[in-house]
Amino acid sequence: MTFLLALGVGVLFGAGAYLLLKPDLFRIVVGIVLIANAANLALLASGLRRGRSPIYPLEGGEPSDPLVQAMAITAIVIGFAVTALLLSLAYRVYASSRTVDLDELSQAEVSRERELEREEVSV
Amino acid sequence: MRRTDVVASGGRLPAATAALATAMLVAAAAAWAAGGGAVDLPWAPSLDLRLHFRLDGLATVYVLLATGVGVAVFAFSSRYLPLHLQHQRRPQSDAVRFYGLLVLFMVAMVGLATAQDLVLLFVFWDLTAIASYFLIAYDRHEAESRWAALMALLVTGVSAVLLLIGALLLHAKYGTFSLPDLFERTRPSGTATLAAALIALAALAKSAQVPLHFWLPRAMAAPTPVSAYLHSAAMVAAGVLLIGRAYPLLEQSRLVLDGLIGVGVASMMVGGLLALTQDDLKRLLAYSTVSQYGYVVFLYGLGGRIAASAAAFYVLAHGISKSALFLTAGAVTEATGGRKRLSQLGGLARPLPVVAAGSAVAAATVAALPLTVGFFADELFFKAALERGTFFAAIAVCAAALTFAYLGRFWVGVFLGSRSAASGRLPRAMVLPVACLGGLAVVGGVVPSPVAQLAGEAGEASVLAPAAVSVAYHLDLRAENVMALAAWAGGAAVLLGSGRLQGILTSFARVGVRVGPERLYDSIVAALNRVSDAVHDLEVRDLRTRVSAVLVPAGALVVAGLLATPTAAAYVMGDVYVRDIGLLLALLLVIACALGVTAARQHLTLALALATVGYGLAAVYAFFGAPDVALVAVLVESVFALLLLGVFSLLPPAVLRREARLSTRRGRRWRDPLVAVISGCVAFLLAWGALSRPTPDEGVAAQQTELAPAAHANDVVTAILADFRALDTLVEVTVVAVAFAGVASLLRRGRLR
Amino acid sequence: MTSLLVQAVARLSLAPMLVIAAAVLVKGYADVGDGFSAGVIAALAILLQYVTFGRETAERRLPLVRLPAAAFAGLLVALAVALVPVLQGDPPLTHLPAPGAEVTKLGTLELITAVAFDVAVFLLVVGAVVGIIHAVATAEEDAR
Repeated sequence: MTFLLALGVGVLFGAGAYLLLKPDLFRIVVGIVLIANAANLALLASGLRRGRSPIYPLEGGEPSDPLVQAMAITAIVIGFAVTALLLSLAYRVYASSRTVDLDELSQAEVSRERELEREEVSV
Repeated sequence: MRRTDVVASGGRLPAATAALATAMLVAAAAAWAAGGGAVDLPWAPSLDLRLHFRLDGLATVYVLLATGVGVAVFAFSSRYLPLHLQHQRRPQSDAVRFYGLLVLFMVAMVGLATAQDLVLLFVFWDLTAIASYFLIAYDRHEAESRWAALMALLVTGVSAVLLLIGALLLHAKYGTFSLPDLFERTRPSGTATLAAALIALAALAKSAQVPLHFWLPRAMAAPTPVSAYLHSAAMVAAGVLLIGRAYPLLEQSRLVLDGLIGVGVASMMVGGLLALTQDDLKRLLAYSTVSQYGYVVFLYGLGGRIAASAAAFYVLAHGISKSALFLTAGAVTEATGGRKRLSQLGGLARPLPVVAAGSAVAAATVAALPLTVGFFADELFFKAALERGTFFAAIAVCAAALTFAYLGRFWVGVFLGSRSAASGRLPRAMVLPVACLGGLAVVGGVVPSPVAQLAGEAGEASVLAPAAVSVAYHLDLRAENVMALAAWAGGAAVLLGSGRLQGILTSFARVGVRVGPERLYDSIVAALNRVSDAVHDLEVRDLRTRVSAVLVPAGALVVAGLLATPTAAAYVMGDVYVRDIGLLLALLLVIACALGVTAARQHLTLALALATVGYGLAAVYAFFGAPDVALVAVLVESVFALLLLGVFSLLPPAVLRREARLSTRRGRRWRDPLVAVISGCVAFLLAWGALSRPTPDEGVAAQQTELAPAAHANDVVTAILADFRALDTLVEVTVVAVAFAGVASLLRRGRLR
Repeated sequence: MTSLLVQAVARLSLAPMLVIAAAVLVKGYADVGDGFSAGVIAALAILLQYVTFGRETAERRLPLVRLPAAAFAGLLVALAVALVPVLQGDPPLTHLPAPGAEVTKLGTLELITAVAFDVAVFLLVVGAVVGIIHAVATAEEDAR
């Protein structure tokens, strides 16, 4: 089981990393979500015990580790808040430069830099 | 703007600042007369820092200079600045900035003069540098001003770091930053010498000594009152102040003192010679300042009985007269409608008699003519040099001759000769400061004993021993008088023969420009600029490079950690039970969908695949015995998927369609999957290794499970979230609130463009 | 727009979903769920109204515009729960009543300050998520 859970973490992380390398801003955001998911899964899998849900009355043997669950919940919520922010940032980028492509954005920024420098020189 | 408005707006602010400076001047003079005073408060006791100020003789010299010249400069500015702003077509409200910075500078200078703690000294030291940066760049629309300001900041700021290093060295060895304590504890040693040398270097850069003198002539791009203040009596004086303040440390090493002599001589000569070649009034005065502070550094280097007192005396005499000369330059330029060059000026003695008289006295003071306070300054200078030996006396005479020559050139060039420039009347506020400072120099020349007393006390603070000096006129042929006569004669000869010398001097100046230290500075700055541009280009061109600069080293560290870990029994397969079939299926779904996300082309598919990953994970959590997590995961995934779709709907389909082509740049086609596979494998190994070794002890989990009923809860997870670790939750909801504020403002229309 | 059936479902499901949210909230201490989940459920219920009826209609029918303010009210309540014990010399977020003490019950709901904290989280999440939805919807109208 340990192996399989680790495999899940690895695949989620690898897929996230792959999307991070894409020029599309939205794919980057999705990649970050996947990596966050990998982290959440690893967090939960690192619990000391796996058993029944830790809710009283405790029936049928050992409950699973509640601490990692609480931590995972915190992590999920914060991940959600941050990705929501990232999404709106991506939208903001589109609104100001009419593209969500990193390569195009870089080009635009470089040419803008040049323009600014030229202005500075002429001033 | 009309002239009346200009004059009217000159009003309250300069008056207030001048009043402040006067109040500080009077307070300082009164405190000195009452025998000084000290303030010693704890600042950061754990770091052994104290707010320790003391108004001793040395401090009094510089406080009086900073506040006294400050009064003159503020008075002068009240008329000069409105005109300056008018010439520059800038709003008169810009004056606020000017006076604010000048006051900041004055306060910093007073703090610097009285500070008795090396760290405190460093703080005020940098404060003066910052204020000077903004003051030099006051005409910030002019590239030359900005360049000059940056140069001054870099030269004095970088060297200030040497001061800090020196202070830290001393602290490491002797355990204190306090100067009086250090004076008691330091013994000659390698560390002490190194620290003293570093401190001396910082001081020399600040006092614009050769070879770090080049920033001062450049700094003449500042408005004239700034030059008059910073570059004659205050900022530049801070360097020699530091030498005087730390003199007991420097004195312990003959090497450092010899270095001071060398630098002082070089500065006197280079400054004097270059001053002879300058056409620009203020630049001439700037080189003169380099030369004059060379005198002071030379004096400190000579050591001996009276050198420190003579140095303080010299600083006082020079500060008063040089600021008068700078103000003269400003007044003349203003009166002639912007002429700044000697070659454009002449014959102004008749239209501007008061300025001519005031500046004549000031020039005479620097050139050490009798009846001015400068005469005694040079007398002490000669005496100290003679004490050391004939060779040094000869150098002193040469320097004094040069000084006489270039000041004669300055005054004669501006005020005598054919009247070449039309000139208007000057407002009284621009004439009076020159006259007053000149008058002060004459008073000092007639009644020199208070100045001598103050200088003696200042010397005492430097050498920690009685160092009183007495000065008076002696009508006989003692050595000092002969040297003075020789200097005047030599100076007059140079002045008369300067036409013939001009060729040699200009070629000297040209060589200095070509191979001098300024060239070195330029190339260093240019090289730094290139590096910064290269890094910047790299950053701007590709966000991924920027991110990978952080991630790749981090990943390399992780891999190194993995490799270093012994592999025996490090990885456990783990048991798989039949009842886990649900979990396995859910995990399989997650893996399949995660791979699907990477292959998705359309953004809709992307969002749906991502949502499926999320729901699959929620199922995994549910089978894991974590229903709370599963619930939260399902809900978050739903909201996030809807949000993703909502944002997609905000974009025109064409934009998304363009991204759906998944176009990859050439060379990326294999690189991206490779990087992804490698990082996935590392993450897998890491997770596997970590999960294979759960901590053996029970940790707090069991304890918290037991405690939950006491917290009136049945759901242990909720009890942890809302009670045991509620602070985490508080931070978490704060993050949510902040993120929400960010989203709301980012999506708002029309802002933040 | 959306079909009548969907509109009917949306209209009818609003109240039950809010009830579920409330149940998850008050039951949080005894069973699965907490303030966050409850907040998201309530927000989803409201989101459904937005999707079905459009921003204007939804905001006309329900007092939604005030909800973002609720987010900050929630944050303030949470901070109050956290900081009031500090004034009494206890560590922050010390809950009352103390362990083992008698608890006032309202049906099955136990009145303890931890519940107030959960309610604060609930308010914050509802306000924040609805605020985000509102922002996206407004941006969409502008984009059109």
